[in-house]
Amino acid sequence: MLKKISISKISELAAALMDKGLLLAPVKEISGHNFVEIKDPKQVDLDFHNTIASPKAAFFPHKEDFIKYETGKPIDTASVVALNLPPTFLFGARPCDVKSFGIMDIHFIASGIVDPFWKQRREAAVIFGYAFDLEKPAQPEEFYQTLGIGAADPEGSDIFMVKKGGDLLLNSVTPKGEKILTELKILNEGKAADKKYYDEYIKKGKEYKTRSMCLEPGAITKKLEDLFQNTDFWNRVSSACISCGVCTFVCPTCYCFDICDDTLFGHGTRRRVWDACMFTDFTLEASGHNPRTHVYQRLRQKINHKYSYHVRKYGVISCVGCGRCTKYCPVNIDIYSIIEDAMKA
Amino acid sequence: MTDFRQIENNLKKEAKRLLEAGEVAVVLAYGRGYDEKHPMPFAAKTIADVESLVFNEYCNFNMASYLMRYPWGTKIAIAAKAADSRAIIQLVQEEKVRREDLVILGIPAYGMKNQKTNEVVDSKTTGGLYNPVIYDILLGEEIHGQKIVSPYEVLAEYEAMDKEERWAFWKSQMDKCIRCYACRKACPMCYCDPCFIDQNKPRWADKAPQSPGNMMYHLTRFHHLAGRCIDCGECSRACPVDIPLYLFHKKVAKECEEMFGQAAGMKLEDKPVLVDFRVEDSDKILE
Ligand code: SF4
Ligand code: SF4
Ligand code: SF4
Ligand code: SF4
Repeated sequence: MLKKISISKISELAAALMDKGLLLAPVKEISGHNFVEIKDPKQVDLDFHNTIASPKAAFFPHKEDFIKYETGKPIDTASVVALNLPPTFLFGARPCDVKSFGIMDIHFIASGIVDPFWKQRREAAVIFGYAFDLEKPAQPEEFYQTLGIGAADPEGSDIFMVKKGGDLLLNSVTPKGEKILTELKILNEGKAADKKYYDEYIKKGKEYKTRSMCLEPGAITKKLEDLFQNTDFWNRVSSACISCGVCTFVCPTCYCFDICDDTLFGHGTRRRVWDACMFTDFTLEASGHNPRTHVYQRLRQKINHKYSYHVRKYGVISCVGCGRCTKYCPVNIDIYSIIEDAMKA
Repeated sequence: MTDFRQIENNLKKEAKRLLEAGEVAVVLAYGRGYDEKHPMPFAAKTIADVESLVFNEYCNFNMASYLMRYPWGTKIAIAAKAADSRAIIQLVQEEKVRREDLVILGIPAYGMKNQKTNEVVDSKTTGGLYNPVIYDILLGEEIHGQKIVSPYEVLAEYEAMDKEERWAFWKSQMDKCIRCYACRKACPMCYCDPCFIDQNKPRWADKAPQSPGNMMYHLTRFHHLAGRCIDCGECSRACPVDIPLYLFHKKVAKECEEMFGQAAGMKLEDKPVLVDFRVEDSDKILE
């Protein structure tokens, strides 16, 4: 089912979605766009290339409270936090980021140990994917083409959106998406010409140029395994790294977390917060021993996790080439160049 | 001003000479990144590495941050713009490095640009000096006649706010913080291991990126840098969500300078202002 609406009416569409549930959409902040819970429909702004942080926080918030308790009280007085999620609309996620949700599902659902918080948030959500603007060039950091992801891939979205001049075309990809499209009375019917435009756009999206190299998952996995002990290589590529958490926090496929207790005046909360393998204390053990004390070990872990261990274990590379890690790294470490160097090494 | 290309050539020349003569084990400077606009901090250790050195208007990173990675006594050459040179002085004062182990390759420069915004980095975000305060070899001509703006001028607007407004301002800024700790990691003066925020016993603040913990992290960090921040602006530049940390640091630096008559990292022979007791010191801090 193909519908359309004028982009000038985007806030009306936002208002209609807000009537139905919670809307997460791109909003222009001081330093760039980010997905934000919309309070005022006028905030929604589709004039962006991609957001600073990936939309993973929609399903994997930076902070997720699990249990509330009172200190000194018996354990059975503690309670699990119930989510009670309203229908959630994730509006305007780019194809590479949508692709990342499928990769994250492996860990949080498909691996067999189901994370109820991730699962519930995923189920409550309707994803409105949004094709990149094919008229505009990709940013220098991006490389999703390398990973076989097009700039207008609808897979993974419930509804996929494409810009056509001053209009936004919305096409249903799943039954869930179709249901929402039917209910949104504010939308107009798409015409045959719109359908043609949409189909061609999707096709053209495959050819959209980002940085690209020929990368076969099996080959890079093997290469990284061979390189593992090559400390010179890892020292060289990591020498500038300052061990901050920027690259992992903005990344759509990084999912490490820490579980911690916070108690204030006897009221306790057990929660998870994001953690990062790049932090110096990430692997610090209670004994005081830390198996990854060197910068190179930590960067090696990050690259190997995404391009080697993950492929061995699950058959797919755990990176979608969005380029955020490179773009926001304070010292310009570029994962693409590292992979390229590894292939050549 | 000597143009960037020429500075780059001089940098390569000096690096080569120092490495060849065995005077230093490493040259800390900038190397090629994934494109022109994104050079990277780079440690040249061999003659072959020298060819990869670059210098252009995007070479903002404060190389002094890397000094403490090397074993005590390692001979190091370091490319130092004005702010970097102040960081070096401050680190020498704090006995983190020895002056005699360093060959400082001074770089006088203006028109440096922020790679994210393309804006010229000026006194608003940094100390606003053009010439390194200290150096052994100068890689370009000293800059004179450029307009000097007080690094504290940018505070006017901020100082006009009353207490409530200031609190509201910082609260809204701190709420944006994602606790990636790039600010402390980019800062040449943040070398504590472990940093207070990573400690578990006692735990000084919660780990979640929310109001009380964020405030605790930043207010403590700001104060740990009192009299030590050399105003390079790297913390703010590293921040992925553009929190203007420099404003707070500048405000504290200004108060320190007014109270003790000394700015951080300006003179090798100074003692760090907050560890030095002088009878004539101002009592304003107690008021
Ligand atoms: S590793 Fe970098 S490029 Fe790959 S998905 Fe994460 S942020 Fe994007
Ligand atoms: S963002 Fe850059 S400097 Fe920070 S941990 Fe990642 S690679 Fe290292
Ligand atoms: S606090 Fe910021 S401006 Fe001051 S020395 Fe550290 S990084 Fe530079
Ligand atoms: S760099 Fe910015 S977001 Fe990261 S911890 Fe510092 S202030 Fe917070």
